[in-house]
Amino acid sequence: MKRSIKVIVFLLIVLIIAAACGNGTNSGDDVTISIFNIKVETRDQLEEMIATYEDENPGINIELTTVGGGEDAPSALQARFASGEDPNIITLGGLSDVQTYMDYLTDISDMEAAQTAIDGTLEGATIDGTQYGIPLNIEGFGLMINRDIFNQAGVNPDSIESYQDFVDAIETIDTQKEALGLDEVFAFSGAEDWVVSQFSAHFTSAEFNHSVTDAYASQQLNFEYGDRFRDYTDLINTYNIQPILSLDYSTSVEDLFVNERVAIIHQGNWIIPTLIEIDPDFVENKLGILPLFVESDTEGRIAAGPSWFWGVNGQKPEAEIEASKEFLDWMYTSDYGREMIMTDFRYIPAHEGYDQDLIQDEISQDIYRMLLDGETAMWANNQYPDGFFNTVLHPEFQKYLSGSVSWEEFEEIVSNYFSEMR
Amino acid sequence: MKFRQSTYWLFLLPCLLAITIVIIYPFLQGVYFSFTEYNGFQITEFVGLSNYRQLLSDQNFLNSLSFTARFSIASIVGINVMGLGLALLVTQKTSKLSTIFRTIYFMPNLIGGIILGFIWQFIYLRAFDGLAQLTGWDFFSGWLADTETGFWGLVILFVWQMSGYIMVIYISFLNNVPQELLEASTIDGANAWQRFMHVKFPLIAPAFTISLFLTLSNAFKVYDQNMALTGGGPFGSTEMVTMNIYNTAFMTRQMGYAQAKAVIFLIIVASLSVIQIYFTRKREVDM
Repeated sequence: MKRSIKVIVFLLIVLIIAAACGNGTNSGDDVTISIFNIKVETRDQLEEMIATYEDENPGINIELTTVGGGEDAPSALQARFASGEDPNIITLGGLSDVQTYMDYLTDISDMEAAQTAIDGTLEGATIDGTQYGIPLNIEGFGLMINRDIFNQAGVNPDSIESYQDFVDAIETIDTQKEALGLDEVFAFSGAEDWVVSQFSAHFTSAEFNHSVTDAYASQQLNFEYGDRFRDYTDLINTYNIQPILSLDYSTSVEDLFVNERVAIIHQGNWIIPTLIEIDPDFVENKLGILPLFVESDTEGRIAAGPSWFWGVNGQKPEAEIEASKEFLDWMYTSDYGREMIMTDFRYIPAHEGYDQDLIQDEISQDIYRMLLDGETAMWANNQYPDGFFNTVLHPEFQKYLSGSVSWEEFEEIVSNYFSEMR
Repeated sequence: MKFRQSTYWLFLLPCLLAITIVIIYPFLQGVYFSFTEYNGFQITEFVGLSNYRQLLSDQNFLNSLSFTARFSIASIVGINVMGLGLALLVTQKTSKLSTIFRTIYFMPNLIGGIILGFIWQFIYLRAFDGLAQLTGWDFFSGWLADTETGFWGLVILFVWQMSGYIMVIYISFLNNVPQELLEASTIDGANAWQRFMHVKFPLIAPAFTISLFLTLSNAFKVYDQNMALTGGGPFGSTEMVTMNIYNTAFMTRQMGYAQAKAVIFLIIVASLSVIQIYFTRKREVDM
């Protein structure tokens, strides 16, 4: 009996020591904030930035967690919250994320990084007039083309000013496929749910008046521009690398497109760093972006806007909230931060006061300029109901591509699910 | 006596605690969640059995269930035939290389499912495509682009991964078959096939119990290979139950509904395993 008491006492002591170690890391006035980042491709840049900031501000510690690979990140973030280890700064993907974390998020409208954000970019993280997120950057997508192939086929890409021009251009290129060394005209990655989702945004954005708030509030998706959606889909499917259903991102971008075996893909400016790694000359001399003609035959738009936002956790001690806000302000409005954002992160800035010439490539400059002019569609796909694009839109779209449902059935099924999931 | 009993429980305590915290408590909590409307943060309402009722009309879930069942049957047969075949090959005492072969056949099992998925994706998409262009055979083109090839793609991957493991189990049982029985049967005039069917086969019946159990439960629970290879595509037709549950929980954020699916899934897998063990046990013979 005596021995068992000793054992219990010993166990208790171990427990107490373990518990004490767990809590006792904060000493003095040091403030530690944690950042949950889901943009894997810029982890190194962010770490460098944090290191500089920590050097400039002794007493501030920043812990960075980066979880990437698409869909796992939201669940990882959710797990952090569920386990009570909620980070100070989180990445938000759209209004439904904002809604999910609303109880935690704090109003950021007093921040300098919010006040200098380009008009309209804060809308994607604003609910009931309260602004909850700082846009990370601008990303734009559309039909990325190889201008060189267009020119060789005798089509000037800048002269494409209507849907009909576009169709003619495709047909012209298609007839010269062999001479141009092309496998096909398009390499649309039908295997990737996010590519399909972004592609659909061109048509749904128009239906939602290019307004993020309208898209989020809408209870229905009526395919107002469904006919044009079908036109583009059929056109792409006809002249695409087959089987379109298993064509993945890396084959499409890193193999077919950059090796000039196709002329057009549907992608955005985030592929530029990858392309530069493979062939810097390609980006400089050949890459172009074409708009889609949705609302009318002659008015083309690419889609562009902020796709991610930084949210600040308000359920934390006041000192940590302040430190989080100061860090984000520094990141987006200090001279050092601005330069890093453009040259090192290679972002298209979502804030004013940036030197446009520092934007690293022409496509990105085009996107930035079009956004400032208000000639863009928005990321309507970020405002779809949770799980809509990967559990409904993508599978149904694939069914249409493979010919197992008609377009009318596709529209009907997808609309029904949209309302149901909303 | 009293002292010994208390130390007994004391030593058991850490283990019991761990199991309670990691398995029993989450399990009970999960069952409770399945009766609620839960989004991962808060339980919005207690809905009783409505999640379970909704299941019956959820076509996607039923499809994934039937896909998983078909996948399991094909891979259980494939893995056990392959595993036993390999085991018979490497237990022939004809070559000194058999240890090397054992290692090689076992190796796929050491690679993680995600990586295997990507490796085979590369094989199906790129290597097969190359073969198709080289030979002009239609058989090699368009893999993973339709349900049929997606299904067989998964089965081939899983058979390739698991059969080495199952082979090891069969080997250990085959090595335990007494030499004198085999000799006796040879003297009685049995040929190789008869020796296998009437002597070895009944004696390795316990290996079937274990192997069938392992392959059955593993085949039903496949997730990572599925995710990496097809991601459920094309059009969700190769989505297995586990992936369906994961998507419901973390993509559409219907945790309660996903829990209901998981509970049903658990019942199915558990009862199939129990039935299988019951029947294969009956076939085992004592020496």
